Amino acid sequence: MIKVQDLQKVYKLTKKQMSKNNTREPIKAAVDGISFEAHEHEIFGLLGPNGAGKTTILRCISTLIKPTAGKITVQGHDVEQESDDVRKNIAFLTNELKLDVNFTPEYTMFYFGSLYGLSKEVIEQRTELLFKQFGITSFRNIKIAELSTGMKQKLSIAVSLIHDPPVIIFDEPTNGLDIITARAVTDYLTELKNKGKVVIISTHIMSVASKICDRFSILLSGKIRITGTLSQILAATASSDLEDAFFRLYSENVQEGI
Amino acid sequence: MSNLLIVIRKELKRVFDDRRLVFTTFILPAVSIALIYSIMGSMIGNMTSDIKSHVPSVYIQNAPADFQTILADDSLKERMELTTVPQGESLESVKSAIQDGTVDLLVVFPEDFSAEIEDYRSNRDVPVINTYYNTSEDYSRNARNILFEGIFKQYENMIIGERLGGSHYANAFDVDKGNTQSVIVDERKATGKGLSTLLPMLIVIFLFSGGMGIGMDTIAGEKERGTMATLLITPVKRETIAFGKIIGLGIVSIISAASSFLGVIISLPFSSVIFGSRTGSVNLGALNFGAAQYLQLSLIMLTLVGVFVGLIALTSIIAKNVKEAGTYVVPIYMLVMVSGFLNMFTTGTPTTVRYAIPVYGSVVAIKSLLEFELAWLNFGLCCLINVAATAMLIWVIKKMFNSEKIMFGI
Ligand SMILES: Nc1ncnc2c1ncn2[C@@H]1O[C@H](COP(=O)(O)OP(=O)(O)O)[C@@H](O)[C@H]1O
Ligand SMILES: [Mg+2]
Repeated sequence: MIKVQDLQKVYKLTKKQMSKNNTREPIKAAVDGISFEAHEHEIFGLLGPNGAGKTTILRCISTLIKPTAGKITVQGHDVEQESDDVRKNIAFLTNELKLDVNFTPEYTMFYFGSLYGLSKEVIEQRTELLFKQFGITSFRNIKIAELSTGMKQKLSIAVSLIHDPPVIIFDEPTNGLDIITARAVTDYLTELKNKGKVVIISTHIMSVASKICDRFSILLSGKIRITGTLSQILAATASSDLEDAFFRLYSENVQEGI
Repeated sequence: MSNLLIVIRKELKRVFDDRRLVFTTFILPAVSIALIYSIMGSMIGNMTSDIKSHVPSVYIQNAPADFQTILADDSLKERMELTTVPQGESLESVKSAIQDGTVDLLVVFPEDFSAEIEDYRSNRDVPVINTYYNTSEDYSRNARNILFEGIFKQYENMIIGERLGGSHYANAFDVDKGNTQSVIVDERKATGKGLSTLLPMLIVIFLFSGGMGIGMDTIAGEKERGTMATLLITPVKRETIAFGKIIGLGIVSIISAASSFLGVIISLPFSSVIFGSRTGSVNLGALNFGAAQYLQLSLIMLTLVGVFVGLIALTSIIAKNVKEAGTYVVPIYMLVMVSGFLNMFTTGTPTTVRYAIPVYGSVVAIKSLLEFELAWLNFGLCCLINVAATAMLIWVIKKMFNSEKIMFGI
């Protein structure tokens, strides 16, 4: 289970970032006091437009960055005190994490598998399974530099799952994928959920979210506006679908902003 | 397999699988250094032997008979090509030939030179012999300053001797006349001395440059390309990653430096003059290093690699990308070169304090080692300082690895 309590993340902005964001404030609260839980047997969706703070939340959970305030635990491990244990328990996928293009998919799996302390047999077994699942087998020995963006994305997913962790955190997992591969990914996430894993994804694509997520948080400017199942959210916002609900919340937010 | 080994192996695989990197890091240094040093060595060698074998063309006017007798001596006759300018003839054409470099020296005696010499008792100015030569021409300078300086001295002694009543009056002693064993050197020390001018500098430069390119790529490059973050979400400890990269880089630096030395050794048949050899060959065998010296040299180099790799790694971590890393590393490289240069021209026994200066101390130690004068205390001090500096760098690097500002630009 993932527990996020009153998470806040404040970035210090450089002069360049300040002028880019058109602001005089030297700090930016990308995430501002949010709480939620994601459970086993569940796909939890963080929904929000670009800049809402989705990636920041997922980075904090994955120990890549430290929360400014608040507390996060993953399978009972605190992200700040026991970051090594947290990292053992998660698969994290985000588009800023890249693979060294000088190696082949096969070696990359072997390398990361070894870093997670897996034996050669287990690595081979997991590699076969994941390569088959995402259709990587045909280019397993071609240097990553020569692969297409979609192929690389598929490999990134496979690499992140090499150690078969109980928690899966995917930031915009279907971005940049063709519909067939995107479908393979969402199907696999559902399969993982059915196996009892905790799955969190972030997305700005409502159709993906409504199809696979069991519960959602809608995130706007670093704050969670609502959390619940699809029917709970539709009832609370008096909307007919998720997109409607989102825009209703969005216009409320804009009005508050003024 | 421990995580450290996994990281080191991957770092090395990255380098050795890449033909371009193998070529630029391990093959190019050997080839280019062998070529450059061979060419440089042959050019310097040719220059010196050419000056030695060149027979200077000397013009002379109004030479008195006794001076001509000196020049007619067998040993001098073959050392110059003498032309006499008739009395009263214009010297302009000879002078312009000196300017072109076709004639090396013109010696002009006053017409009444002999008479003035005879008349030495009257209180007048002594006669003046004029010489004309070209300082921008090596042959010309050599003819004037080495050859004729000696001849004039001999002639003056002869005249003074006659005034005193016999040539032996003006010749109080000879130096090394007939002594064929006058040069006594310990060939071992002589070889070491010759090498100690240039070699310490080359060692530090090769060690630093060997790790520079790859170091920037393996750290700043990985940050820039986003592959570092992928490594940071594995459970591997950050210090393990840092250590793995540093050790991998150290291995690469050492192999690359070894390649550079191979280049130097290949070039030795042509380049021995550069390394202070007078005989035309550097006899590395004559160095005859004992086990202790090899141990000392290896330990100095090993601990120095730690400092270099630490410096390269630290700057590469602070930098956002490879380009920025370059702008930080190059000034450090300059400093390393300067500490090498500084040491080239120092003589005398260095004080113990000097061994305690990071990097520079190692250059001093390697120099002393080649001169067979490195005391164990100074050796220990130099290594200790290197180890301490490396430890400090690693400590800072570890801090940097934990800083999200540094690792993710936040
Ligand atoms: N490293 C950073 N430094 C400063 N501001 C940042 C940084 N990363 C993200 N931000 C800002 O924080 C906000 C949230 O970003 P992010 O979490 O990436 O949103 P999302 O993933 O929902 O698009 C944005 O306004 C973004 O500009
Ligand atoms: Mg994002």
